[in-house]
Amino acid sequence: MEEKKKKKSSAKTLQTAREAGYFGKKMLAGTRQAYEEGKPVAWSMVDWWMGSTITKAMGIELCYPENYGAFCASVRKAEPNLDYAESDGVPNTICGYARNCIGYTRKLKENNFIIPEDSPSGGMPKPLFLLACGAVCDARYKWFQSLGRYMEVPVWTLEFPQTGVNEYFMGDNKKDNIKFMVQELREFIAFLENLLGKKMDWDNLSGKLDTFFKTHELAHKVDLLRKSVPSPAVCTDFWSIMIPHLYMPEDPEALDFYQRVYDEVKYKVDNKIGAIPNEKYRMLFGELPPWHTLGIFDEFAEKYGVAFAFESWNYHVPSPLPDDERYGINDPLELIARYSYHKFNEHAQVAREQCMEPTLFTAPYMKFVKDYKADGLFCHPLISCRPATYTLMHVRNLLMEKFKVPSVVVEGDIVDLRVFNEEEAHSKMEAFIETMDHYREVRKKEGFEW
Amino acid sequence: MSDLKGLARAAQIYRGRHERAKEIKAGGGKVAGYFCCYPPLELMTSLDYMPLRILGDMNEPLTEADTYLPTAMCCFYRSVLDTAMKGRFDFIDAFIGAHACDGAERVSYIWKSYLKSPCSFYLDVPHTNHAASIELFKKQLMYLGEELEKTAGKKANREMLKQAVALHNKQRSLVRRLYSLNKGDPPLMSGSEILQVLIAIMCIPAVEGNALLEEVIEEVKVRAGGPKQRKGRILVWGSLIDDIALTGLIEDCGLNIVIDDTAIGTRSFWVDVDETEDPFDGLAIRYLDKVVCPRTFRDTKQTRMEDLDNRFGYLKKMVKEWNVNGVYFNIIRNCDIHGYEIPELRDYLEGIGLPVLVIEQDYSTTALEPLRTRFQAFAENIG
Ligand code: SF4
Ligand code: SF4
Repeated sequence: MEEKKKKKSSAKTLQTAREAGYFGKKMLAGTRQAYEEGKPVAWSMVDWWMGSTITKAMGIELCYPENYGAFCASVRKAEPNLDYAESDGVPNTICGYARNCIGYTRKLKENNFIIPEDSPSGGMPKPLFLLACGAVCDARYKWFQSLGRYMEVPVWTLEFPQTGVNEYFMGDNKKDNIKFMVQELREFIAFLENLLGKKMDWDNLSGKLDTFFKTHELAHKVDLLRKSVPSPAVCTDFWSIMIPHLYMPEDPEALDFYQRVYDEVKYKVDNKIGAIPNEKYRMLFGELPPWHTLGIFDEFAEKYGVAFAFESWNYHVPSPLPDDERYGINDPLELIARYSYHKFNEHAQVAREQCMEPTLFTAPYMKFVKDYKADGLFCHPLISCRPATYTLMHVRNLLMEKFKVPSVVVEGDIVDLRVFNEEEAHSKMEAFIETMDHYREVRKKEGFEW
Repeated sequence: MSDLKGLARAAQIYRGRHERAKEIKAGGGKVAGYFCCYPPLELMTSLDYMPLRILGDMNEPLTEADTYLPTAMCCFYRSVLDTAMKGRFDFIDAFIGAHACDGAERVSYIWKSYLKSPCSFYLDVPHTNHAASIELFKKQLMYLGEELEKTAGKKANREMLKQAVALHNKQRSLVRRLYSLNKGDPPLMSGSEILQVLIAIMCIPAVEGNALLEEVIEEVKVRAGGPKQRKGRILVWGSLIDDIALTGLIEDCGLNIVIDDTAIGTRSFWVDVDETEDPFDGLAIRYLDKVVCPRTFRDTKQTRMEDLDNRFGYLKKMVKEWNVNGVYFNIIRNCDIHGYEIPELRDYLEGIGLPVLVIEQDYSTTALEPLRTRFQAFAENIG
């Protein structure tokens, strides 16, 4: 019993990963301080196209309810919020981050917008507006829209075009999509200017973009280093170090931090120091983790020598924008649009070659499996995050069909601890080791490189 | 072709949904299968494709879906892919998927990966109705048109498109007339009958659909022996219903379904396409902005109440015109789009004195019976 109640966080293998928690705290504390000083604060979804950077350039402090949901889950404090949302009629099937946030906001309202004292990590202050996003999932605009029930604040949905693979290559489709994104960004800036009664500070934005791209470039270089065998860092490291690049890449501290991450990982690669002591198997993880039980990956490493070499496409930065896409672009909004579009479509060519759809959440794995010499995929279908789950079985089929790489499926949730069965995860993993051995032989016979 | 007419013919088509499409194909015609309310039927019709709404099957046990889709996904789209993988749609010449909601979007992709129709297109549908979104959507429709032209072996000119717009607008006005027959008490048609007619016209060419609607209207206008007067006159709101097993159960419990706001019902037919100079303008505006599904985000208004009126005010009008005294929220389990609306819309409607029943159902006829007592209790409490 005691054992069950113990918090199952991961020890993490990188020193820098152990320090990354600072950024989450900094973000939340920053918004609370701004709120107390009467400065504007907003809540944002991860928008993947720098709507948040634009918002910050206008002097608004941001925090991210998705990240807050993950944090509440990791300290096992999400349940009361989930229950409180559900008791207001929200179905228990919807996104765990959303339910955590809805429950939290309901309490905030009932406490006259004074943050309830028991809020994990100090809580999120009342926002001036909500920055929703059309990329990736419906929850990320419907959830913010539904918060209107507790707070009369405007919601802005930053839309993201999402094309199919063949459609990506049609006529001027890409150009049309980028043009649309630029128009949407202009509308968004007009909304912000109207809300704040002041003009966009373009110099401030360009300074932030500069830092943003540098941080992303370093994060990408770290991803490339992780191709090394043995793996210099693993999934639990990544899920910590990603916080600064996902939520605050334009912060100079994030850039400094990534330089240190890079140096640490590079040192390990140069000296062939593996993240785990005895790497026998290399696995991919799809897609969002069980935040409440990250320690399980340490146990897999220890028991079976499994290194989770790469993971979670959605959380990774894209490769840098190719020079021909960057050349001659003077409008920062067009640069933002191109880069963001690139994030979602950079694997379109791979998808076309493999005659499959879609690029998001799926095609990247066709590349990762080779680049990271994966022996298997750990699929984590979530009970409450459907968008990051919908294509997992598809990825699983494709990896087997095209690369003879098997998968193990363990159901769970990002937030809802109640649906994760640790014993089952262990027994499935134990059985899966033999499967990976078998398919290594199959790949060898069929002439695969790994 | 059948000798049956009106409601009997509609019921026959409803039962054998793909028969007419297969006959057309056997005669050298072409069929385009599409998802949800967003691919414009006019584009298909103008190029002589028979538009066929792709639906699931509540009677079919899911045996293939688990291989491709996790259980957390919307049960309706799991059923759609399940039946498709079993070959039920192998005859279609064109597949048009759509970014209607996450479920529709991902199933479109997975469908395209495994099932190769001569023509396939994934229609991106922006989430907002901003001017830029409508412009982008118009371009997406033009790409769809080009793709369809390739396999249709012909090009659609403006005239052909305008004719198709007029034809489908006529269908919409006939459907509105059909629903208006339910304003009186008792209503002239049951919810199951209306559903059969609507599914029927989604499975035959528009010209035939219009003739069928006219027959049904003439028949129903003078009928005796329609639904009985009942205390409960309800509006069904929510995800789609595509099987009369569910509407039949509701009506068995003492409720008359007089109007609905669901994806197979009014949502697909309620508004016309404006006859614009460039038909693509009218199509883009109608399908993206005028179709009211909660999947489209509308910018928040100044106050909460204005915002709710902007999103749900049309329901108040329906309630008044059809003299509704209760609302059933039909939520297909795991449909996020409707799930997020539940608390707000429930309070909004209860605020005007309407009782609301919310049920999350599993899109399976075998899971319906346990719902009976809930509908019965709701019927008793109404009025
Ligand atoms: S992607 Fe998943 S976890 Fe993130 S908001 Fe959407 S449903 Fe929730
Ligand atoms: S939620 Fe809307 S878009 Fe999605 S299936 Fe239902 S009616 Fe269609």
